[in-house]
Amino acid sequence: MDDKIDGNATRKETHCHESPTIYIPPLNFAPIVNSSQDIIYRSGFPMPLNYPYLLNTLNLKTIIYLGDKVDLLPQYTEFIEKGEYQFHHLLMNSTTDKNIQELMEEMLELVLDKRNYPILIHSNKGKHRIGVAAGIIRKILQGWSITGIYQEYGIFTGNVKGEMDLEFINSFCVRNPLKVDPKFLPSFINFET
Amino acid sequence: MQKEELSELLKEYEIGAIDINQLSEKLRTQLHLGKNGKALASLKDCPEFLPLANKILSNEDDSTDPLKYNTEGEEDEDQEGNGQEFDEDVDDKFDEEEQKWRSKHFLAHQEHTERDMTQDHRAPRTVDASFSQEMFPPENFSNVIGEIYRSSFPRRENLQFLKKQIKLKSVLVLLPEEYPQDLLQVMTDNDIQLFQCPMQGNKEPFIHIPDKTLTNALTIVLNPENHPILIHCNKGKHRTGSLVGCIRKLQNWSLTMIFDEYRKFAFPKARALDQQFIEMFNTKDIENVSMKNGWLPIEW
Repeated sequence: MDDKIDGNATRKETHCHESPTIYIPPLNFAPIVNSSQDIIYRSGFPMPLNYPYLLNTLNLKTIIYLGDKVDLLPQYTEFIEKGEYQFHHLLMNSTTDKNIQELMEEMLELVLDKRNYPILIHSNKGKHRIGVAAGIIRKILQGWSITGIYQEYGIFTGNVKGEMDLEFINSFCVRNPLKVDPKFLPSFINFET
Repeated sequence: MQKEELSELLKEYEIGAIDINQLSEKLRTQLHLGKNGKALASLKDCPEFLPLANKILSNEDDSTDPLKYNTEGEEDEDQEGNGQEFDEDVDDKFDEEEQKWRSKHFLAHQEHTERDMTQDHRAPRTVDASFSQEMFPPENFSNVIGEIYRSSFPRRENLQFLKKQIKLKSVLVLLPEEYPQDLLQVMTDNDIQLFQCPMQGNKEPFIHIPDKTLTNALTIVLNPENHPILIHCNKGKHRTGSLVGCIRKLQNWSLTMIFDEYRKFAFPKARALDQQFIEMFNTKDIENVSMKNGWLPIEW
């Protein structure tokens, strides 16, 4: 696989600053939360084509993989090492998993720690599993309306409605107390007590 | 016979008994013609009708219409002066009445639910304090990069979200229509600055966004002094999508991924010519401006 694509030849006329590389973001890449350096991104599984983009432009600290693949690509493992990322694999199949509640709560705990930022959460295609995670962040941490959450889910899945997923987000609430250090809450969480 | 009815209608139109809107309405109801003009196209063997048919068709949502593609396209003209000739796609036109109507119903419903709201479907106590009320993002809302956001035309109920959660400083509207007074008032009260870069949607295949207009818009968007900024048009699909595509070009994204993003947000109404526009947009001018001001690369 090509690690780098040299766009110099094709884009020379239009580019006058010194950045000849064309970057290829992973599937369905987008920021979820972006608040004064506390950034969470979402995407599909990063492939070797995407590594230059992730390594050179994002300054990531933590990568969370929500997915079922146990045998990860050797290149991917290398990429994790090269970027010195904290890697968390939350083994998730779908929202019908038995331990889904714990998985989502674990995800929330990671997201609620400032020291982990910037974070990339990815699944395989960047649609359904990450759609659920994003929906839960929107609902629990940002207080978004269900309409807004459904909309966002739809944008990234190409309006394929995951009834189960949406129902899950709708009914989700935190059941066990989260292990969160109030000193290290990310800046988009602001208490108004 | 369709043909006879047609020439009768034409005669009425010619002597001025009915105007063009009435004519197209009649055509639709009496002759059972499809709204998008597909059936009209089948009448094009009626030569005296052809110019008129074109005129009517340009009043309607086109995109799939064969007649239009037969006409010469691809003229890269500025839209000024050209604008009167073609009415806009329903999606491109801002409908203040509809907007108000939806807001009204929404707010009424809101009041109603708030009254008998129970605590249990809300977030748990640990984080509940972070929001004392539910946040309503505008439709098609998303974070583009840094503190640049995109959405459809925000309504009144979205302002709370934009003010509190996004801490919006400015809004860039890509519509030519005048901004609704009440929204404008709320925005001034909240110190949100409004920029307007009027552009018409890419009306396939006749109207294109001129590069110059887009460069101007980008100059506003990229300027950190205006951040956090929200870019919106009517649906947040076409014009906003084209502009975001051009931002992605400045980030050196591969075209495939730029188009993928465009299509996600424009679904199900992606326009080929918007994507063509992104591909052909010359980033040189905006790059020069940005280099001078140190705006590139944009921080994630």
